[in-house]
Amino acid sequence: MPTNFDPSQQKKRVNPAPTGEKSWAADLLADAFGWEFWIFFLVAAGFGVACYLVRGADVMWAALQSDLDMLLKLLPRLLVALSIAALIWVMLPRRWISGLVGSEAGWAGLVVATVAGALTPGGPSSAYPLLAVLGASGADRGAMVAYITSWAILGMQRVLIWDVPFLGAEFAILRTLVSLPLPILAGLIARNIPLTLTLRPITGASDAANSSSGAGVAEKGQGA
Amino acid sequence: MNIGLILLSICLTGLVIVALRRREPAGPVLKRMVEQFAKLVPRMLCALLGAGFLAQLIPQQAIAALLGEDAGLIALPIAALTGVIVPAGPVISFAIAALFAKSGATTAALVTFITSWAIFGLHRVFVYEVPLLGASFTRLRLVSGAVLPLVAGGIATLVGLVISYGTAVPN
Repeated sequence: MPTNFDPSQQKKRVNPAPTGEKSWAADLLADAFGWEFWIFFLVAAGFGVACYLVRGADVMWAALQSDLDMLLKLLPRLLVALSIAALIWVMLPRRWISGLVGSEAGWAGLVVATVAGALTPGGPSSAYPLLAVLGASGADRGAMVAYITSWAILGMQRVLIWDVPFLGAEFAILRTLVSLPLPILAGLIARNIPLTLTLRPITGASDAANSSSGAGVAEKGQGA
Repeated sequence: MNIGLILLSICLTGLVIVALRRREPAGPVLKRMVEQFAKLVPRMLCALLGAGFLAQLIPQQAIAALLGEDAGLIALPIAALTGVIVPAGPVISFAIAALFAKSGATTAALVTFITSWAIFGLHRVFVYEVPLLGASFTRLRLVSGAVLPLVAGGIATLVGLVISYGTAVPN
């Protein structure tokens, strides 16, 4: 469970202490071929066996062949996309992003949150801690919802690594354009919907009891 | 060499120029890249193989009937629902999206599926959102975002009536 709330801490994983050189390689191997990989592997193998039994050996081999072809075609694009993602990850300060959101209110706040969400590099392990910081520093509920929704559906890194290699550039561009207004719409709905929001205090995920005793940042359903 | 690779290469070239000008050390960048590559590629191989075998088990006509042109607008809620029930990271969901695309799903249905998965992805909710922000935020976000997949699919459908741009090209 991530208890790491300071976005600047995230860099430490990228750049571990010099002594960690060997354990970095070991971690890498564990990451690549850990239990999660073996679940993926077993499920794929299971479908392969089912395919063999139901459709016969020829169909199974043909499917295997065409999937390996597809992966070979994907690899160059993926390699370039991952280089882009790594460069953005290292160069774009996450502190700057959290400063950006909350600098504006009203409509502009939603637009800024949408832009910040789309720019935020990395997976949920970098976006959610940032969102927690935003919430603790007083960003309104609309901006918070717009930010994380934008990261989820518009995140540039996701579009580059996943949409472009798997479904093509045209589709990626279309999906991005179609999705542009959506985080703002979600933010507007969040501002006007009568739901109470009690954010978990940022001191740590372990003291969940605090939020029920009133230590959490409570916020009423007010439009900003 | 296709348009996707060209687009990505242009992006990369621009970023490399910026990085060189700022004299960014190459170490952290390479490390991050190797980490991501090691994490993704073995799983991607399995996900693609699994989806490929699955495609032989589920008749493609069935997918096309539910998500293709013939399904009409009913394809959108079906795609949205499918997105909700894929509780996994992008490796699996995009392998499934590519499978849908190959089987003849419409662009609007694909947009709906990806948007729905991005918003509802249950794996993220339980691992990150509830522990870090609390269940009340999850509730607010899901209620606020519930209509977005259909709105996205709706806009994509309207765009499709005007121009035929954005057709997915899986390998």
